[in-house]
Amino acid sequence: MEIKDIISSGLLELYVLGMASEQEADEVTSLAKKYPEVAAEIAAIESGLQTYAMMHVVEPRSSTKEKIFSAINTTSQTNGAGKVVSISSFWKYAAAASIILLVGSAILNVIYYDKYKIADKNYAAAVIEKNNVRDQLASLEESNKEMKNDMGVIQSKYSEPVTLRGQADAPEAAAKIFWMKNTTGEVYIDPSNLPEPPSGMQYQFWGFVDGKPVDGGLIVFTKKGDKYRIQKMKTFGKAEAFAVTLETEGGHPQPEGKLFVMGKM
Amino acid sequence: MAEDIKYSEEELVLSLQRRDQKAFSYLYDNYAGALNGIICRMVEESQLAEDILQEAFLKIWNNFSQYDSSKGRLFTWMINLTRNLTIDTLRSKGYKKQQKISRDENSVSNYHDKNAGADKFDTLGLRKQVANLKPEQKSIIDLAYFNGYTQEEISKEMGIPLGTVKTRMRSAIMELRKMLEYN
Repeated sequence: MEIKDIISSGLLELYVLGMASEQEADEVTSLAKKYPEVAAEIAAIESGLQTYAMMHVVEPRSSTKEKIFSAINTTSQTNGAGKVVSISSFWKYAAAASIILLVGSAILNVIYYDKYKIADKNYAAAVIEKNNVRDQLASLEESNKEMKNDMGVIQSKYSEPVTLRGQADAPEAAAKIFWMKNTTGEVYIDPSNLPEPPSGMQYQFWGFVDGKPVDGGLIVFTKKGDKYRIQKMKTFGKAEAFAVTLETEGGHPQPEGKLFVMGKM
Repeated sequence: MAEDIKYSEEELVLSLQRRDQKAFSYLYDNYAGALNGIICRMVEESQLAEDILQEAFLKIWNNFSQYDSSKGRLFTWMINLTRNLTIDTLRSKGYKKQQKISRDENSVSNYHDKNAGADKFDTLGLRKQVANLKPEQKSIIDLAYFNGYTQEEISKEMGIPLGTVKTRMRSAIMELRKMLEYN
């Protein structure tokens, strides 16, 4: 585009009026730097419009100027280094009021913080209490569930109860087993009438199959301090008799310790 | 305020860059009326208009470093700043731009009747010249210059195609310039 065309296009007018797009404005700026004719035309448009604006003067109120100057002086003092600023009495009262509010709010903070701490403590205690109750409930639920399992074993119509009687070495001992003989072959034992095993020793359960003892598993004597617990042993499809011996901890593949109780089918 | 010193535009700009309050005072004395004229074209409430004028001058003072003399005259920068500030203020208060325009169709003479003492120019002679502007030429200048209308808004307001706004603006301002030169 030639300079003449740019000048006559009206773009320079829009530029002066602030109506040109950012891109157009940048273009005009660089053209004005390059071509004195463009710069001169812009200056002429500006001067024409400025004169036009001067014909539309509306004098502001005389107080406006003072307000502007007091505003710029307040600002520059805020920026400057530690000048003494005279404050109007309104601001003095405002400052005093804000200090009172601040102190009041600080006192309230202390009071409410104390209250908060007490409430927080109570809350922590309540949480602990709640957790205790929850734990108790959980353990009750668990023992209830175990009890139900036990009852299930005892009540099952398929379980065949077998009493294991005390033998020569422990005439007072006794135990009961429940054998799901004709269904799953599961064996449960109630060891509650066995005497407490000495430390380092454990009861081992045996089934006699074809005249030979077969390991039926170790009896857990106490469980969470509760020794009266019916527990599942190894499964036997067939057996002529069941027995319990006292073995060193961990048990053995063949019975080595004293025979405590025994019951024949 | 007495005008002891006369500043050239260059001196004025340099002094304002040095944050010379005397120069700022001179600036105010010479241009506040013109800027206020623009504000009053768009704002009806006199208190709001005064607030905007104050804010405009604070902006001119605080943001003076943003003025780039290579991009145009100081007055052009100030008037564009003032116009944009006024439009933004009105918009933030939910006003529309066209608020006052219809009432001010013949405002050159109206405003001067109200401001008899305002003349720093010999505006009487100028006014006679400008009165010869065709109404549509005056309108297109006023809408853009005093009311900050965009090209689209002018096209709509005046019922002319968007593409011709630029050329119409050019010829209207050319006409205005011719009249002012003859004076």
